[in-house]
Formats: sequence, C-alpha cells, structure tokens
Amino acid sequence: MSTLASEYSNEVTHDVIEHRFNPYSDNGGTILGIAGEDFAVLAGDTRHTTGYSINSRYEPKVFNIGDDLLLTANGFQADGTALIKNFKNQLIQYHFNNDNKKMSIESSARLIQHLLYGKRFFPYYVHTILAGLDSEGKGSIYSFDPVGSYEREQCRAGGAAASLIMPFLDNQVNFKNQLDPETGNKKQLKYLKLEEVVELVRDAFSSATERHIHVGDGLEILIVTKEGVRTEYYPLKRD
Amino acid sequence: MNHDPYHWGRPSNETYGQYNYKISNASNINKQFNNASSCDFPTMLTQQPMITGTSVIAIKYNDGLIIAADNMGSYGSLMKIDDLERLIQVGDKTIVGISGDISDLQQIERMLDDVELEESYDMESSNLNAEHIHEYLSNVLYNRRSKMNPLWNACIVGGFDSNDEIFLKYVDMLGVSYSSPSMATGFGAHLAIPLLREKVDKESDVVKLNKQDAIQLVKDCMKILFYRDARSLDKYSLCIINKTSKEIEFLKNLKCEDMNWEVGKNIRGYGIPQL
Amino acid sequence: MVGKDCVAIACDLRLGSQSLGVSNNFEKVFQYGHVFMGLTGLASDVLTVHENFRMKTNLYKMREEREIEPESMANLVSTSLYEKRFGPWFVGPIVAGINSKSGKPFVCAFDFIGCIDYAKDFVVSGTAADQLYGMCEGLYEPNLEPEDLFETISQALLNAADRDALSGWGAVVYVITKDKVTKRYLKSRQD
Repeated sequence: MSTLASEYSNEVTHDVIEHRFNPYSDNGGTILGIAGEDFAVLAGDTRHTTGYSINSRYEPKVFNIGDDLLLTANGFQADGTALIKNFKNQLIQYHFNNDNKKMSIESSARLIQHLLYGKRFFPYYVHTILAGLDSEGKGSIYSFDPVGSYEREQCRAGGAAASLIMPFLDNQVNFKNQLDPETGNKKQLKYLKLEEVVELVRDAFSSATERHIHVGDGLEILIVTKEGVRTEYYPLKRD
Repeated sequence: MNHDPYHWGRPSNETYGQYNYKISNASNINKQFNNASSCDFPTMLTQQPMITGTSVIAIKYNDGLIIAADNMGSYGSLMKIDDLERLIQVGDKTIVGISGDISDLQQIERMLDDVELEESYDMESSNLNAEHIHEYLSNVLYNRRSKMNPLWNACIVGGFDSNDEIFLKYVDMLGVSYSSPSMATGFGAHLAIPLLREKVDKESDVVKLNKQDAIQLVKDCMKILFYRDARSLDKYSLCIINKTSKEIEFLKNLKCEDMNWEVGKNIRGYGIPQL
Repeated sequence: MVGKDCVAIACDLRLGSQSLGVSNNFEKVFQYGHVFMGLTGLASDVLTVHENFRMKTNLYKMREEREIEPESMANLVSTSLYEKRFGPWFVGPIVAGINSKSGKPFVCAFDFIGCIDYAKDFVVSGTAADQLYGMCEGLYEPNLEPEDLFETISQALLNAADRDALSGWGAVVYVITKDKVTKRYLKSRQD
C-alpha cells in the first residue's frame, strides 16, 4: 500500500500497475499534399500495416469527400476513418441547412479543427491534410496536428515518412537553399506545373519507400482542378 | 502541517471543518458516505481476453471466397472448448469469422442476431449484406474501444456486397479495418499470409485461382497452423462463398489431412539440428 | 557521398546542449592522412574518439610506414567501438576516403558499437539522419563529377539540417579527389 493515501487518489488501492488496454495503434503509411497555381494534389501510399505486418497492399486513405475537397487522416486508421466519416456527416448537414451550397475549403478547415479539438483529451491520433481550391481558384493545402492546430501551406508531408519527404519538398517546391547562379540571389519562387508536381510526388514516394518499411506497395495521387477530381495510381516497391 | 502531498494547500479540517468531498468529484467519493466496500475495487473493464479463439483465414478465388477457422476455444494453454463454431452466418449473404475472446464473440453473435431479426421485420427480401455487417461491426468495435471497454476480437467479414460482388474485409478490437484479397488474423497473419500471398498477392491474381486450388490452399494453411500454432486444433470449419451460384457452402468438422509428424523427431532446440 | 573518382563528406557546425545552442563552430569531420571521419553524438566522446583515432592512425603510420587506407580505417573504427561494447562511446561515425592504391572511392557508417554499414552511394548519421536519408534518396545520382557532388551533398545537408531543430548553424563540406581535397564553409540559416 502506498503511503500517499488520500481521498483524491484511487490509485492507492493498486499495489501493482496492471497491463492496460491501449486504444491506439499505428497503421503506417505516409501522405503528401502540394498546391499549384490552379490545382492541388493529395497523395498517399496504399500500404496498411500494424507493427511489422503488412495487412493490405491496397487500402486507400486519401478520399474525395465531395465539394471538390480531398481529405486524408494518416496515423491510427480507425481514428482517421472516424474523423473523415464525421466530417462527411457534418458536410451533409451543412448542405441541408444551406441550400446545397458548396462548403469552401476555408470553412472545411475550420470545421476539421473543431472536430479534432473536440477530442482534445482523447485525441484522434492522426496527421490530417485537406486539399482543394480556394475562393480565388488557387490550389490550397491545409495541414492539421492531432488536436486541431492548423495552417495553410504550399506543401506538406505527413505520416511515417514525413521527416524524409519534408526537407525534399522545402528544397524542390519552395526552392529553399537554392540560389540563382547568375545573380547569387535566392532563387525566385514560382508555381510548378502539374506534370512537374506529379513527378516530384512520385520521386518523394519512391525515395521514402526505399528507406521506410511502413511505406510502399502503391501510390495513389488525387488531383483536384477546376474540372473536378481525378485519381492516378502508380505501383511502388512491395518489399 | 500535513505532509501528505495530496493535502498540500488544502484548508485544514481543524480550522474549516470536514472537507466536502462532493466538491472534489473524486471517484472514491462514495466511500465517505456509503461506507460500502463495493467501491474499494475500481470499475473493471476488459483488460485481457479469457477464453480465446486463434486465427481466422480467408482468400478470394476466381468465383468467390473461402474463409476458415478451427473449432477450439483455449483458456490459456488449456483446451477448454473443442467444438466451438467461430464462423457465423448472418443472413444469406454474410459469413463473419471471429478470433479473440469467446465471450465477446458470443456477445457479437447475439448483436448480429438482433440486427438480422430487426432487418427481417419490414423487408420483403433480405437486404442485409456483408458490407452492412462490416460497417455495423466496425462501428460497434470502434465505439467500444473509445469507451475504453473493448470487445477483444479480430473479425473477418466475407460475403456479398450491395452489387452482389464478393466482399472481404477485416476489422479488429480497435476499429482498424482493411480489405485485401487474402487475409488472416492472429497467428495466421504470420504463418498463413505468406502461403496465401504466394497465390493471391494482389486483386488481379484472384482470377488465376480456381475453387479446387483455393480449397486445397486453405486446407494446407490450416494444417500449417495446426503444426506450429500451439493454440490451434486439427478440426475446423470452412465456408465457401460462390459468386455465380450465390450459394454459401458451410463445411463443418473438417480434419487436417496428410499430416507428417516425422520432422518432429529431428527438431532439436529451436529447429536447428544439433550434432 | 560517392561520386565519379571522388567522395564528399560534410557536417553542420552546431554544438548544442539539448535545445540550447552552445557553439556555431564545432566541426565534426576529421582528417587522418587521406582518410576522413565524421563523428556525431556526444560532443565529449566526439573529441575523445577523435583524439584516440589520431593516436591510433599515427601509430599505424609508424609501424606500417604508410598512411591508413579507408577500408582499414573502417575495420579499425569497428573494432575500437566494439571493444567498448558494454560501456560505449556515444558516437555515430562515418568514414570516407579514396583508396590511394586502387583509386576507389569508399564510404561507410557505423552504429555506436561498431556495426559497419558499407554503402555504394551515401551514408548519413546524427540527429537529422531521417531528413538526410530523404534528401539523399531524392537528390543522389551515381557517378557525379566533383563539382556536382559538392552541390548535391550541400543541398542534402542544408535542407535536412533546416528541418532538424538540433542541426544547422553553418556547415563544412570536403570534396576529396585522388590528388586534391577541397574544403568549403557554407552559409546557412542561423535559427
């Protein structure tokens, strides 16, 4: 029996700390969103894991949730699906209450913040990325931490191999540490073309697949333009 | 001064009278008023499984899918039940294979029974398909885990979806779910999956596997599992879901065949022959 | 990083005590004859291990009457670290150099108890290892000329360090060819 007995503590009745049920697990995978001038891409690998086991080689985790918005929540898959399901239900309510008005990406982002923060003390264990076009038709990426802190960005990698991909994106999308060879000044920022972005995404994922065991099998890229949403699939290494 | 850290900063009883425990909302508040011993013990939720069932395995083939599970319920290393049915048919379109805690399995069985009953009242034809059962199970399991009171199971749901296509999906105690053309729970994920993936690794491999080969493959897997999984039995059930005939064959009391235990006597230590 | 008849080795310049930056002038790459070794990890061990290898390579030079080759250096590092298997030096060494006889470029890395990781392309070590792996896998290509190798390794290090709170504060890059060693200091973000 502990000497710290008091009416505040019910732990004192335990002499040994028992094995406790762990409500979380990690299902691996990695995600990546890049915004262009008039498009946005949101990509994710299709491997689904628990521990060292590959559960599935094709389990999509990037979703077209309607209103030309793409959403993914990478980390603990059960929480990810719950969050997205939650968001979709809220979206139906929104359409019902607002004469089927499309929900803007700005509003969607704020809504997701509230869904995440609503579970502040039993969080959704996920890194969330939302992609779409903003009110001016410009490509837009919003990324969230597990409890709802969010930011609009040009690009963001999330999930298992985020630490491998993110510096590569800094370098290749935002031209960080790159100088103009003529003038020696910082290289001018410019919007990348869709083809260039898709090539970057494919490079990023094949690099991550090479060095991260929870990444691989397949790459699914969802692309949103003013024409709508389109999906591309590329195989990745399965080892 | 009271040196108990839990009392630091607390108005002393001598000066202010007995502390009102209702303010603190402490979990052992009742003790002060009821003087009952029942609340000495904290509320207990499932922290570990008791009687358990081992692997469930499933694989798709060119005209449907096969799902199998053995008939044992073990209590630790004791074979408590040897005629346990872990493949549950729900309606005429779904088979659920369940591993993990058996009392929770039976609870799930009752819940699925209720669902089936409720759905049968006002429907002229049965509309309850495998997709619905999977959705229902994942919601139940996820909600229970979110209450920190899980149903300790891993389930494989197989059958037909809304378009009468073959449906196969997994869901476990955490609410994690995924689909794959070949899958297994528990030990099967380590021992059977490599064998199943040799034949069906991706969706496009499904057309290359016929029914006979698929049955043989699943039987081989059950044998391998019986060889190496100490909590498994050589008696098992096997369900074959046929896509074109829309029939579910339910085979019970199958035994592992053509077993060879000769290798056993050569195994020393951890499988490396010792001189 | 390995190029065509050349290798490059680079490090950042930060010395820190957890989140506190202590020095912006702490080089982690050391030269032993024509072999180079980078040491990350506990700073006191970095210096001690370096002094140790200075002694060992000097004794080697006296006995063998030649400088140590990178391959031999790799084995020396490995055995020296493993000697301290149960009371290890907390360092993550990498070795780079060109074999003076065969002219073959060589790089390898170690864990802190001496397991050797030979590589054909690149090796990384330190707090930004994940970031460096991502950068190198993305930027590297085989058979780069010395100037291109310099650009590649510099971009890899700079961008990786910028995504790691514990790395940065300047950088040093050595590009080593058979007959020349170029050492360059790089400007980088100071936050």
